[in-house]
Amino acid sequence: METSKPVVVKHVPQRLSLKQARDFLFEIQPILSSDRPQLVFDCSQVLQIDAGGVETLLQCLAEVIKRDGDLKLAAVPASMSLILEMTRTERLFEIYETATDAVLSFSRFLPGSLRLHSVAPMPGSLHHGPAGGHFDQAA
Amino acid sequence: MDIAVDLRAIILVGGAPDDIPASEQFAGLPLALCDVLGKSVLHRAVESLQQQGIGSISIISESAAPVLNTAGRELRSTCSWTETVPAQLWRTAENTFGDLAQSGAEIVLVVRLGAYAEFDLEDLLQQHLASPHHVTCVVDEAGDPLDIALINASRRNEAAYLLRHRLRQARSCGGKYVFRGYHCRLRHVGELRGLALEGLLQRNRLRPDGEEVRPGIWIASHARITRGARIVAPAFIGERVKICASAVITRGSCLEHHTIVEPGTVIENSTLLPFTRVGSSLDFTHTVVSGSRVASLVRKVELDVPDPTLASSLVQHAPLRALTSALSLATFLPMGFLRGLFQRNRPPRPSELPAAAVVHSAALNPPALRAPVEGASSFSANMVVARRYGNQ
Repeated sequence: METSKPVVVKHVPQRLSLKQARDFLFEIQPILSSDRPQLVFDCSQVLQIDAGGVETLLQCLAEVIKRDGDLKLAAVPASMSLILEMTRTERLFEIYETATDAVLSFSRFLPGSLRLHSVAPMPGSLHHGPAGGHFDQAA
Repeated sequence: MDIAVDLRAIILVGGAPDDIPASEQFAGLPLALCDVLGKSVLHRAVESLQQQGIGSISIISESAAPVLNTAGRELRSTCSWTETVPAQLWRTAENTFGDLAQSGAEIVLVVRLGAYAEFDLEDLLQQHLASPHHVTCVVDEAGDPLDIALINASRRNEAAYLLRHRLRQARSCGGKYVFRGYHCRLRHVGELRGLALEGLLQRNRLRPDGEEVRPGIWIASHARITRGARIVAPAFIGERVKICASAVITRGSCLEHHTIVEPGTVIENSTLLPFTRVGSSLDFTHTVVSGSRVASLVRKVELDVPDPTLASSLVQHAPLRALTSALSLATFLPMGFLRGLFQRNRPPRPSELPAAAVVHSAALNPPALRAPVEGASSFSANMVVARRYGNQ
């Protein structure tokens, strides 16, 4: 299915702390308030992100969804990915390897380029099943 | 064990090989000084040597000793500790070797803590005494050195040559002791995490420094676990750890002494090193955290988290920590009072409720409740009921 709406690619600044995030949000406000916005955040330049930055990303996602659009992340560095994982927000975004893949994903299904949230097995083969000898303690 | 010879030991902390830059360290601390299940690797090595009969142990470290827990402070008093700059580590070891030889030592054991090895000292000593060599180096099954050597104290030149070559090359043909027991190299923080996990699974001689309150759950003294927190075995909770409500500690996680886990945070297959505080409602999965430094073992990335609401280090000195807590309480109370004063009032409740809210629902009318519908209790044979689970 081809879509006629343009996809906007926006570079996220190097530092996305509370102040920079506020400026960034102000900058993209016109795009967010348009009808059915299709947004890609290219995060390749991001060096530092904190809880304020993550909150801004979530705010953008909420605004976009409210207007029946979509927001995707691209080229997320490992450090930013770790912060997103820590704050339990990684699973809320579609994350692509490159901005091109993210843009193309609006018009076609690209299963190969979507970065899946991998869970590594525990070293020492402690990979218990549901009845695998765990012992719970409600302290 | 009866040792007929005067055997003394030198333990070196640091001096990592040059070919692996910035290895054997995490958050500026050598891995040998990082805690594993309540005690540092150095602490365990010293304990093991003392149990095997070595009374005099000299520790030479290129880093300052970290703030220790109770067990660490007790052990510190039994050894001599020398701090030196990294460039002078091996030179200091050479001088210490000379001092030990002069004071009557016959054989000196030199250990560089680049690996944790559970070797049998008696067996090593017997092989050394039986061999014609003046130096015996310990290697693993593949022939790679474990940086452990026994040296005759009378052979100072031999010792100097060996120490100048970082225990990797002997002047004359030295003996080799092939060690086939448990050992774990400590090149990066992932291996430290693996060592802790194998200790929890009781695959080595590391025993958690705490009381086993439930099968597979060790808790050290003065740990505070709030009601509602959940700990899944195997897990280790260190001394003076605080776990807040709704936190989950699972899949072999280790919380070393003086760590704080805020409410709702999940610690899964991770280690929190001493004096670390992690924020609320976060996920730490396959990570090692020391203060604001976080290493992800899956992503193979280390980063400094700039946001103290995510992870931060605690003040290490108890009086300062108490003062900080008192200050935060002193600022919290007036803030709470002011917030209460200027809080926006709730909107007033309307005096008259809308008519729809007053009238009973038609479903509650008595005839509808009492009069059973014909055939309502039996379902038709071809009806299928599917129940949805989870996030479907």
